[in-house]
Amino acid sequence: MSAPYKPRVERKFVGGYRPRIDAAEKAHGRATYADDLTSRRHFPDLLHAKVLRSPYPRARIKRLDTSKAEALAGVKAILTYRDPEVACLKPTNAGWTDAVDTVNYEGMMWRNFRDRRVLGDYACWAGDEVGVAVAAESEQIAEQALRLMEVEWEALPFVLDPREAMQPGAPVIHPEIAPHNVLPWDPVGGPDIFLDKGDVEKGLAEAEVVVAVDSSHDNPTQGALDAWCCLAQWQGDRVTVWSNSYAGDQSRMHMSQMLEMPIHKVRFISHYVGGQFGRGDTGDQPFFLFTALLAKKAGRPVKFKHTRRDSFHDTRQSALYHCEAGARRDGTITSMVFKSIGDTGAHADHSMFALKFVPAEIAEVALAHIPHVRMEAYGVYTDRIPGCMMRGVGNSQFNFAFGLVVDALAEKLGMDPIDLAVKNFGHEWGTVPDKSLVAVLQEGAQRIQWREKRHAPGAGPVYEGTRKRGVGLSFHPGWHAEWQELRRKQVQVSITLHPDCTVTLDAPTVETGTGSNTCNVLGCAEALAFLGIQPEDITWVAAVDTDTSLKDCVQTDSAVSYLQSEVMAVAAQELRRQLLDLAAPVLEAAREELEIADGWIEVQASPGRGISVKELLRRGDLVPLVARVSRRPAGQKTGVPYIASFAEVEVDTATGRTQVLKLVIINDCGTVMYASGAEAQQIGGQCMAVGEALTEELVYDKATGIPLNFNFIDYKIPTMADMPEITPVLLEVWRGAGEYGACGIGEGTLTCTPRAIANAVYNAIGARVDDLPLTPDKVLRALGKI
Amino acid sequence: MATMPERITLRVNGEQHEFAVGRDLDPSTTLSEFLRQRLGFTGLKIGCDEGACGACTVIMDGKAVLSCMSLAVEADGHDLLTIEGLPNDDPVIEAFAGQCEPGHGTALQCGFCTPGFVMTARALLNANPSPTVEEVVEALSGNLCRCGCYAGIAQAVQHAAEKIAVRGGQL
Repeated sequence: MSAPYKPRVERKFVGGYRPRIDAAEKAHGRATYADDLTSRRHFPDLLHAKVLRSPYPRARIKRLDTSKAEALAGVKAILTYRDPEVACLKPTNAGWTDAVDTVNYEGMMWRNFRDRRVLGDYACWAGDEVGVAVAAESEQIAEQALRLMEVEWEALPFVLDPREAMQPGAPVIHPEIAPHNVLPWDPVGGPDIFLDKGDVEKGLAEAEVVVAVDSSHDNPTQGALDAWCCLAQWQGDRVTVWSNSYAGDQSRMHMSQMLEMPIHKVRFISHYVGGQFGRGDTGDQPFFLFTALLAKKAGRPVKFKHTRRDSFHDTRQSALYHCEAGARRDGTITSMVFKSIGDTGAHADHSMFALKFVPAEIAEVALAHIPHVRMEAYGVYTDRIPGCMMRGVGNSQFNFAFGLVVDALAEKLGMDPIDLAVKNFGHEWGTVPDKSLVAVLQEGAQRIQWREKRHAPGAGPVYEGTRKRGVGLSFHPGWHAEWQELRRKQVQVSITLHPDCTVTLDAPTVETGTGSNTCNVLGCAEALAFLGIQPEDITWVAAVDTDTSLKDCVQTDSAVSYLQSEVMAVAAQELRRQLLDLAAPVLEAAREELEIADGWIEVQASPGRGISVKELLRRGDLVPLVARVSRRPAGQKTGVPYIASFAEVEVDTATGRTQVLKLVIINDCGTVMYASGAEAQQIGGQCMAVGEALTEELVYDKATGIPLNFNFIDYKIPTMADMPEITPVLLEVWRGAGEYGACGIGEGTLTCTPRAIANAVYNAIGARVDDLPLTPDKVLRALGKI
Repeated sequence: MATMPERITLRVNGEQHEFAVGRDLDPSTTLSEFLRQRLGFTGLKIGCDEGACGACTVIMDGKAVLSCMSLAVEADGHDLLTIEGLPNDDPVIEAFAGQCEPGHGTALQCGFCTPGFVMTARALLNANPSPTVEEVVEALSGNLCRCGCYAGIAQAVQHAAEKIAVRGGQL
């Protein structure tokens, strides 16, 4: 429980505690998702598609005979790697699913790593979509058809561990891209040593205190309940796709480019989406293409939907980090070294974003005042599930290492990690101590009772004979300030003022649960306060339809919550000008002489000579006023705010079980756009964070390379019974550019928590467990009990 | 071994439906698929189809059941309630929709799991109109919310219990 936050500026609507605008619709079960919109009741003649998945971790199809499947009653279309419309498809990857910008094939990131073939004959993880897809009258018939496919596989040697994959003689997974499984230089990430500032060797040699630590981050999965789903329908040479993709324009661009169709021949429609968490940005797009091709071939609408097992199709990338840090005895850090090996799994996708781009950006901000810094990363192919974008991409893995090296160095220096942090970290455009970092750490320390509860590692009291408690923290720079969103280029918004003085807000974005729709409506009401309207007078357009919508601002980087509101502030001024132009002849005054407030337009010099906006609109010709604005995010380098998590845990030293007792999550937001939504993100993110820290793990049979727990029974996502008390704390200390100067927080809510928990475990038991998830066996091993 | 009935009767949200097994429905059809596809009750969601997430929860004869773990034919003769059958002013729905108490976040974000949570909470409150926090946690721990709104949900269930008490203890 925490007190409401204190806004820096009192505003009418922005920043409020209130229900989401879609809360009633969702609580009644009336919100419609892709699976609802594509049911047989809507498309009575739909067919169901299924795709063959490799039963081997690495294999090639030597021969495929589809004749028995073709003969099965109810099978309507079969598509294989030999069909010309499949064979001609260009190799692809996740380079354009980032969707921050809507790029074409040539403009996509990771042009050197196009390692995905749509329905190719080569599989490189057990679960890879490969070879053949079927459309049939029912899912059961489609599954039966796949069982009737006669496939002669050439099972190939495989490798599951990135360190083994780097060794000479290891099976090579994509020889044309990475002859030794290690991804080469690329234009976005750079070389292996992608950052080398100062002279690290000299810095370490001169340091009075040095630590070296290692951490390992496993690959949890996004686990959205709303599994991937789409339906493709052709009308002549035009295709419409309903889906739960988080991107409208980008999905359209992808299909248009891959199927070589003009953009206007492709239409994408998304409505509510049941969770995203990075899934949309993982290269999982080939299914759109084979679904569309099957629909074309069958001449009927075709629906494709992942089963829960299929939905284990991408993960956070696992990463091994080795870090060294050197400091003077007074706690001034002089050198930091980060070396990582990332397991990309079977496809490279955005691996180097996590391994290089993100750490380089962190170095620019948080490590700006450290004179000697080196960063080195290796993305390595293995025959495992691809690891790529997941909420907090790259930052989670980095923080798990960064928070460890800070904690270890503080201990060796005999300092409190809070003092060490405040002394050294900030951002390039500010000085140390950084106000935002100080604020998040002080607030967290107070709420968790840091000084009262913290003790020497393992030296606290013992509860119930075997249980020990500890506290830990971790902090991280935010990465969703407006200047960090420049790659989005134009953000578009349209505000329509109807003759009854209500508003339709077209601020297109696919609502995946983040609550940016409510932020938008509050931002719109705030910007239009001169109309005297309430948020309830604003209709938000929930569907993204590429035929009619403006460019959609995709739910990536957690930034939509304020980016569109910044544009609305501009659009509202445009609307204001239009209104005054309308009023000027009525009031027989020049526009410049008029003032508008609370729905009343008045001649400034003659109080009382005025007209209400409602009356003005009513007298008009019933044509709505429309303000449509495109704006690039402001590029002013404002630095970044900070994030921190504080954890209190209890470890049972007899069983190795770790229980999180309390979490305090502190986000400096710049400006809180919508308090209830922000708190929901802070609290909600901990489900993923606690799972990632303690229970969520993909298990493979090492002998066969087959994953064993691709289901929600054996892959353990926390339930209500597994979650601790969580205190969400919203702060407004840092400020960005623009009307609000806010930043995104959704991803950052969980970035620091696994490390805060691991540091708390160390504080509790005096032994480090730095290999996620912190399962009981690892704890017992650290205690020397097994 | 029980013999398969030729016809089945389902009472859904107070309305009687009769189906011929074989002609109207395949005996292997799950209750969740049948309710969604055949009868159009798409409020319930299929999140895992293996009894692990609770998104498909409906109320059968007053008790919460996972409709993905029942066959439609097994519901023969039973009384089913889906979220579409709840009144507009249902106290549980109102509490889920209205939750914004500072410190707890909202009771829903993406909303995909919400109908399942609402139905599970309703079954709990039906049996136990004023549950303790521990009882709420126990009853709702079979439902997954990947957005993680557990604190808001727990708060909403407590508020629903208060609303029910104000309305005279009747759900």
